[in-house]
Parts: sequence; C-alpha cells; structure tokens
Amino acid sequence: MSSKYLVKIVSSVVALVLVSLLWVLIISKPNNDRVSRSTLLGQSAPSIVTATIDDQPFDLQRRKGSWVVLNFFNSTCVPCVNEHHLLVDFAKREATIDNGAELYTVVNDDSDDAVRNFFLKNGGDWAKLKDENGAIAVAFGVARVPETWVIDPNGLVRLRVTGELSEGLLEAQLDKLREEFTS
Amino acid sequence: MFLLVCVLLAFGATRSGGPQTQQDRIDLVTSHLACPTCSGESVFVSRASAAEAIRTEVARQVGAGIRTDDEIISYIEQRFGSQVLLVPRSTGLDSLVWSLPVAVLIIALSLLVSAFARWGRRTPIAPSTDDETLVKNALAETAQDSNES
Amino acid sequence: MLASAGITGTIGRALLLVGFIGAIFGAFAAITGVRNNEPRVIRLVSRFAVLAFAAAVGAFAVMEYAMITRDFSLAYVQKVGSWSTPALYNFAAVWSALEGSILMWVLILSGYTLAVCFWMRKRLNESLAAWAMAVMMIVLAFFFLVSFFPANPFALGAPGVLDGPGPNPLLQNHILVMFHPPILYLGYVGVTVPFAFAIAALVTGRVGEGWLIATRRWSLFAWGFLTFGIALGSWWSYEVLGWSGVWAWDPVENASLLPWITGTAYIHSVLVQERRGMLRVWNISLLVATFSLTILGTFLTRSGVLNSVHAFSESGIGTWFLSFFAVVLVVSVFLIGWRGDKLRSPGIIDSPLSREAAFLANNVLFAVFAFVVLLGTVFPLIIEALQNRQIAVGAPFFDRLTVPIGIALLTLMSIAPVLPWRKASAETLQTRLFWPMWSGIAALVASLALGAYGLAPLLTFTLGGVSGGAALRQVILATRRQGLRGLVGRANGGMIVHLGVILIAVALGASNSYSKSQELSLVAGVPATFAGHSFELTDVIEVRDDRSVSVKARVIVDGVKTYEPAITKYTRIGMNVGTPSVKVSLTSDIYLTLEPPVRQDSNTARIKVFIKPMITWLWIGTLLMAIGTFLAAFPGRRRRPTEATSAEVLVVEKIQN
Repeated sequence: MSSKYLVKIVSSVVALVLVSLLWVLIISKPNNDRVSRSTLLGQSAPSIVTATIDDQPFDLQRRKGSWVVLNFFNSTCVPCVNEHHLLVDFAKREATIDNGAELYTVVNDDSDDAVRNFFLKNGGDWAKLKDENGAIAVAFGVARVPETWVIDPNGLVRLRVTGELSEGLLEAQLDKLREEFTS
Repeated sequence: MFLLVCVLLAFGATRSGGPQTQQDRIDLVTSHLACPTCSGESVFVSRASAAEAIRTEVARQVGAGIRTDDEIISYIEQRFGSQVLLVPRSTGLDSLVWSLPVAVLIIALSLLVSAFARWGRRTPIAPSTDDETLVKNALAETAQDSNES
Repeated sequence: MLASAGITGTIGRALLLVGFIGAIFGAFAAITGVRNNEPRVIRLVSRFAVLAFAAAVGAFAVMEYAMITRDFSLAYVQKVGSWSTPALYNFAAVWSALEGSILMWVLILSGYTLAVCFWMRKRLNESLAAWAMAVMMIVLAFFFLVSFFPANPFALGAPGVLDGPGPNPLLQNHILVMFHPPILYLGYVGVTVPFAFAIAALVTGRVGEGWLIATRRWSLFAWGFLTFGIALGSWWSYEVLGWSGVWAWDPVENASLLPWITGTAYIHSVLVQERRGMLRVWNISLLVATFSLTILGTFLTRSGVLNSVHAFSESGIGTWFLSFFAVVLVVSVFLIGWRGDKLRSPGIIDSPLSREAAFLANNVLFAVFAFVVLLGTVFPLIIEALQNRQIAVGAPFFDRLTVPIGIALLTLMSIAPVLPWRKASAETLQTRLFWPMWSGIAALVASLALGAYGLAPLLTFTLGGVSGGAALRQVILATRRQGLRGLVGRANGGMIVHLGVILIAVALGASNSYSKSQELSLVAGVPATFAGHSFELTDVIEVRDDRSVSVKARVIVDGVKTYEPAITKYTRIGMNVGTPSVKVSLTSDIYLTLEPPVRQDSNTARIKVFIKPMITWLWIGTLLMAIGTFLAAFPGRRRRPTEATSAEVLVVEKIQN
C-alpha cells in the first residue's frame, strides 16, 4: 500500500465515520406518543396506603368498584402546571357522568404547602395524596412528572400516560377503557 | 523473584476483607442502578429525588433480607424499565459498547506489532571496521584527557 | 430606572460586538498580511488582539458589576443573582450558568490570544506565527459570536423583578467554586494555542519540528492547569456532594477528562517527534482531537442532548457547538489529508525495547482509554437516536474497562523511565530495574501486611512500587549528577509528575476497593462504634441565615473533635442540600452525612458513616503533579552532545575489548 496515500485514506475514513455519527444524531425523530408501556399494565395496582395532605386516610384497595385516575404532580414542574386546567375540566366532566372516575393527585417531591397553595390559586378540589419517601412513585416506576395512571374498578392498571396531557386525551382513553370493561 | 510475586498476589487476591455491612450491600446494589432522571449517574451517587426514593426502597428491601441483590435490581428494573440498568446488556446492539473497545485495542496492538515487524525487517546498519577504529581512538583520547585533567 | 435598565445590557453587548469585530479583523489582517507579504497589515494584528482582549475584559467587568450591584434588569442576574447570596459566592455566580461561563471562556481565550501575540511579537511576519494568530482569532470570533447571540448574558429580563433565587445551592457552599472553574478553563481553553500552531503548520506546510518545540511550554501550561482543574473538581465533588466519592464518570466529568487523556498522550509522543522526527501525523491528530474534544464536550454538557437526544435541537446553543465541532473536524482532517505526503517521515523505531517504543505503547493505551470514555458517554445518545429507547452507561462500565488500562499504564511507567533511547538489551533492563523491582515487592508485602486483598488493588500497589522506584531512581541519579538542577527539566520534572500519578493510582485503588459504610441511628449521649471508631451525638442544632435554614447534627468522633454533617434548606429556591462533614487523616477519612428526616432539638439523628482509605493521598499526589509540571517547564541543564544521558551501557566495554 503506497504510504503516500495512506494518510489520505485514513483521514477520509475518519471523516466518513464522524459525518455518519453526526447524521445519525441529527435525523433522529422523537417518539411523541404519550401513552406508554409498563410491566404493571394488566396487573393488580401496587397497594397505596397513605394520607392526604389534609391528613385524611387513603387506601387504594377501598376504591375498588370505581375507576381511579392517579396524577403524579409537582407544583414547580412546567408541564404539570400546563396540564392542570385539563385535569380540572376532566374532574368536572367525570363528576357528571355515570361511573365517573375518581381523580387523585400524588405529590412528588414537593411540600404540602406548595401543593395546597397551587390548588388554591388554580382550582381543583380532589384529594392530594402524600408520598412518603417517594414510595408510591417507586412502586409505579414514576421517575419524571407528570404521569397519569388509570386503574379499573377491579384494581387492575389499565393505562399509563407520561408527560403533559393533551386536550381530550384522557377522556377519549377512559371512554374506550370503560367500553371494553363493560363489554 | 517473579514466582514469589505471583504467589503473593494469588494469596492476596483470594483473601476477603471482612464481612459486608448492610450499608455496603445497599451501596453495591445502588451502584448498579441508574438514576432515571439523570444522565448515567448511579442511584448511589445521585442526589436527585428519584434516586433518593429508589435508595429508600433498596434499603427497605435489603433490610427485609428476602431478595438477593440481583432480584432487587430486577424488581426496580421491572418498575422503571431498562433505563435503570447501569451496566449495558451483553446482547443486541447494546453489546457494542463492550465489544468495540476490545476490537479497537486488538486493532491498535496488531498495527503496533506489524509496524515493529516492518521496522525490524530493515537490514540493520552495521558499523564498518573503519567506524569501529574511529570510535575506539576517540574513546581512548577522551579517556586520556580525563586522566590528565 | 428605566433608563439604567437598558444601559448596562447595551454596554455589555456593545463590548461583545467590539470584541467580535476585533477578532474577525485580526484574523483577516493576519491572513491577508501573510499572503500578500505586507508587514504593515500584520502589525495591525496585535492592535486587534489588544482590542479584543480589552472588549472581553470590559464585558466581563460589566457582568460582574451588574451581579455585584444586583442589577435585576438583566435576565442573567435574575437567574443566578440574589441579595441573600454572600459576596464571594455572588462574584462566582457569574460563571455558575451557561451564559456567564461562555463569557469567562471568551475572557480567557482573548487573554491567551493576546499573550501569544505578545510572545510572537517579533516574529509575526513569519507565516507560521501569522496563521496561528489567525486560527486563534477565528476561534475567538466564534466564541464572541456565541456570547452575542445564543448565550447572551446581557439579555433584558422580565420587568419589575426585585430579587432572584441565587446560584444553584450546590455552588454556594464551598470556596472551591471560586477556583475550580477558572483553573479548569485555563487548561481547557489553553489547548487552543498548540492546536492553532498545528493548523498553522499544516497550512504553511512547515510541518517539521519547529512549531512543536516553540509551543512546548504552552502545551505543558495548558495540560498542567487542566490536570489541576480536574483534580480540584474531584475534591469539590468529595467535599460537597455527599456520596463520599471523587469521580462518578458522569458526562460533565468525562467532557473534561477526554481532552486531558489525548493531551497526556501528546506530551509523551511529542518527545518521540522531537528526537526522531516521527509520528508527525499522529501528533497533529492528537492536538486536533484534544481541541475538538473541548468543543464536543461543551456541546454534550450544555445542549441538553444527554437528557434526550431530541433536546438539543430545541435549544440554540447545541446546534452552534455541534456545527463548530463539525467544521473544526472537517477542516483539520482535510488539511491532514492534503499535507499527507509532507508529513511522512523516513524514521523508524529500531527496537521494541526502547523508550520510543514505550511511548508508542503509551499512546496506544491512551487512545483506547479515550475511546472507552468517549464511547461510554455518547453510546446512550446513539442508541436513543437509532432505537428510540433510553439506556444508561455508568460507572460499572467505565471501571471495568479503565482499571485494566490503568494497570497496563502503571506497568509502562515502571519500564519506560529506565529504558534508554534507541535500543536496550535485556541485561541493561535487568540491571536498571533491580531496585524498582524490590520496591515493588516491598510494596506488595507491606500492603498484604496491612490487610489488602483483591487482585486489581494488589497489582496496583505492586506496580505502584515498581514505577515509584523507577521514577525515584531517575530523580536520584539526576540529582547526584547535577545537584538541585537535577530536579528541573522535562525528564526530571516528568518523573515527579509520575510520582504524583502513582500516589493517585494507589489512593484510588485503596479507596475504591476498601471503603466501608454503615448507617447509625444515634441517640444523644450514647456512643456507637463502627470500624474501630466511636461516634457520639451531642445534639441537633439549627442555624439560620437570610438564604438558608441548616439543621446540623453535632457528632463527636473518637471522643476528640466534633463534626457537623448538615441538611440545609435554601429557602429562596426550596431545595434541600446535604452537606457532609469529613475527618481528614493520612490513613483514611471518616465521612459523615446526615440522613433525613431530622428535626432540630431532637435527641436522635440518623447518620451515614463512610470510612474512605487514603483519600488524602489523592490531594498529595495532585500537589506533586503540579510541582512536577512546574519543574518540567524550567529548562534543564544543557547536555553536551557527547555526554551520556543515561547510565553506562555495556556496549562501551565491548568496543574497548
């Protein structure tokens, strides 16, 4: 192999590798699908025994028979703040229909006072659950907020939505689940 | 001398360092879990809230003493997904992260070896007898100079 | 107030624009001046360098002024300034976030540009110097541009803000935050100088050894500060973060380590090029790699791409750095390919048993080391881009691969200092390695006697003994021959740096393998014991100031001194930060952290105790490395060409017989 061209060949190969790496980085497309997988789907929901921020007891087991929606929330996380009004509308809608879902907020790494103040300012009168040492978040595998989970009347996990809710997403998914449940 | 070193190393390598405390075990398990909200930090290192929560859970399970280290890691992996595995798997595309460095090392070493082979094949330039006499005379002169001074 | 709201920002931004103009015109003047052979135009280069430096100093001063006077009209001051931050941390708050740290980069780079211009002031008409100035000015112009557009520190903030949250709490509780970033940047930014000369050498075709030898001290200076900066970062991490370790292999750390690895390879292989004229392409490639890695590192850590591959296209700064990285690489690779034939040298390395060969092996190992760190850092990105799933590559991967590389490097460090140049016989090696071998065995026996175990740490200690012996042998021989001057110069200073590295390697081996930890629930007045030490809680107190509320547990260790691990809540930000308390000693540190939940005036506290062996030796080794680098920068005694550089070789006897 002629040594004169060795350097040119090697430098071209190096350039090619680097350009292809950059290309891979640039053209990758994000996955915007909010509905996510979890090994808990179809399984019994992890047990939740805790208190609300107003010190009322809460036990997930005793909510069997109703649809339960859990929203993992932190008052400083921007997408949580953004989606809040959608949850307020959702709660209003579910209150009016038959077999409506119960909405609960799980506080994720936030102080009770901050959560209380946020809800006072922005509305929403459903129960907010304390999460001691993040145990509930770990049980569900929730690392980033917001996340929204749906549990059916038999206590089985049916839906996981990661990230900010989009308009109408939760209602549509829940109606679909309710249809499947009764059929 | 070399044998002595090997024997000592073998002796030391198989020795153990005393019992593992419960905290040591927790530290070991959390060092093999990735904090899901950080970029590659282990749960042991990270001060993020998700990492604290996982540390508490691991501590609880280690304290309960029911699961082995691997089972605890699987338990957390089941909840959070494979993003919490800090050691990439050795199957599939992930295994490239292990095989590529080895491949690079082998390629680099073989290039080095072949370069030395190529250089060694060059005919060595041996000094001629004239050169050797020149050197001998010069050295003798220098020795004389340093003896005189 | 409305008038002043605009003024500071406008002045600052105007200064950045002036600096950019100075840099761009400086580059233009250098290039046209040297191409058209017009000394008058080249004289302008130094004026533009002064202008750019003055503008950078001015912009930085304006930023500090705004921070010190808490001028909340600026968005950046709103982000990291606060009335409740103490003065020192407020000063350092300028470089606590992106915009300010880019400004500091601009300041340091313009300083280096002016310094190089001054150093070359009598030779600016030479094409090599002129092109080097041009390259530095172009890089400087890029950074001025970044500071003007995407990372603008002088942007106006929201109106009516009267106070801010202050810098990240982790950046306002230890004095090292004043030193670690500037010192690290002096190294990080300093690699631009040898890079500029390498590019100039390629462009002008003067690819011989001249530029190398001229930039020797600049390279050593930058490398030294990079080393010291990285070590300070580890020390800060140890003292502040609370997980009791010094290195976590996280992307920010790796970004600073990568140019250090290629830089270390360079300062070794450069010796081969100086003596034998070989490895020209390799050395230029190493410098290109070192500089590009600083840009790539900044891209990786500032663009958000490591949280998600898709984050970087959302913020502006990532695209700027990625494009600059691509341009630097493409231009450099093209230049190397173009000058390929000029770079080939006819030299060969005679024998695998020679110092040149040892440096080659050293470079191979460092190249693999850099590859491993780079691969581990960007692999999650690649997987996410290709398969849209998140994986993590963390400490276990890096440890598993870098420990063997480290041990191989220690082996090389044992042999290379005793290897003569050109060729060695096995007998020479055996004679010279006599004492180092015995110190290695002594080290092994001593560590076994002290209770060491495990193959990797024992190998580290043994090889540490051998390489320490080899380095000491060189220093002792040199001081015997030359007195105190035997301590200065590249070879001898280098041996002292090696001694520092060996201390660090041994300390890391010990602390990574033999640390022990335990959680203790303490009740006031009742001592608990762990690992032969006693811990007694006296009380839990609360300390308030205007930016934080700190709950501290006062613990008496070994009945002698009180240590106070704490949990501090920074009230303005609402963030809880744990602060460890460390009992430092030469044998092992006792590291205490306080675990939540804890209440003041309680008589119980949960603390975690870590016993960390030999941590202090890490800092002693760092100090040795700094001293050795400083000594290496001094010129050693000039050798007479006929004088032996190393101990007598048996060949002499053969000829005389």
